[in-house]
Amino acid sequence: MSETAVATHAAGEGPSEHTTKRPYVVVFAILAVVTLVELNVGVFGLPRNLQIGTLIILATVKACLVVAYYMHLRYEPRWLLLIPLGGLALVTVLVVALVGTAGVVPGGSHP
Amino acid sequence: MADAHGPSHDGASAHHGSKWPFVAGTGAAVAYAGLVMSPTILGLGLIVFVAGVAGWLRDDLRSPSKASFGTLVAHPGQVKVSARKLATWMFLATEIMFFSAVIGASWALRTRSATWGEPGEVLNVPLTGLNTFILICSSLTMVEALAAIERGDQGKLRVFITATFLLGVVFLSIQGYEYTKLFFEEGLRFTSAPDGIDPLYGATFYIQTGVHGSHVTGGVLAMAYATIKSWKGGFTKEHHEAVELIGLYWHFVDVVWIFLFTIVYLI
Repeated sequence: MSETAVATHAAGEGPSEHTTKRPYVVVFAILAVVTLVELNVGVFGLPRNLQIGTLIILATVKACLVVAYYMHLRYEPRWLLLIPLGGLALVTVLVVALVGTAGVVPGGSHP
Repeated sequence: MADAHGPSHDGASAHHGSKWPFVAGTGAAVAYAGLVMSPTILGLGLIVFVAGVAGWLRDDLRSPSKASFGTLVAHPGQVKVSARKLATWMFLATEIMFFSAVIGASWALRTRSATWGEPGEVLNVPLTGLNTFILICSSLTMVEALAAIERGDQGKLRVFITATFLLGVVFLSIQGYEYTKLFFEEGLRFTSAPDGIDPLYGATFYIQTGVHGSHVTGGVLAMAYATIKSWKGGFTKEHHEAVELIGLYWHFVDVVWIFLFTIVYLI
């Protein structure tokens, strides 16, 4: 797998003197392979709940790779991570509340 | 990427003196008022909004894509993030909340249903798997476009950003084909679903994939703009922030699809 060499300078601020290898193609290969595994996860004969858990974990791994390497959060100041994490924390409360209400709604299910 | 030491006083771009964002904002406000007042006011607002965006893009096509770091002086060892990148990340945080709410609400409805569609029962999983692969490819070409202009390689920038635009168009085309098949042939509608499946299955499918598709459409339009600007030589090794910011949005749309594909199609 080849790697892409890019300068770690600020966009619009000219090149810095140091460069680093950024594994864009390696990340792409991992994303493609994991997607293939996701599509064929049924062949492993896992119990339903374990299969769902596996798929969620695989999706999370793929998302983290894209955010870290393609969106460059791995190379940004740490505090910038607080912005998306803040949004995620806020909405987690909403989603937990939404899903949690499923069991307490009168009637249990819609018609 | 956008770390910089010290201020960039010449970073104030033409945007800060442009009247067009104000025109576009005014048009949007009038259009929103028109939504509850009258179609005429809505139409007028949309015309002003489109004129504002067109004028803004016209100005931007003629100016370098500079990063703006404000006037605060960074202390030694401190890194700064450009104003537009910070704003883009804040925008993406709101998008995280938007998509999570839509997906969470759909999941909540699903947990109440005993007749939800099984994976592959209605939806074409292999076709969407191909579409997922296309979106992943577009993320690679997007990040390679940014890497190319960071090296000052105009040729590869044009190739990769044009490829990203085309891959986005292919993704939308396949989604359009999928919608047509599902709606007209499979009978998956907004208020009904085939084979005794919960009618909310169709509604939640279209709302989740539809809002994502509309975001991809916005990304493709932004990519078209960046592609035109790149072929006009509008990005340089020193000034190319728009490529990075459009890329951030594009990769975010990819991340959303990674979860949507799993939750809507595979689970």
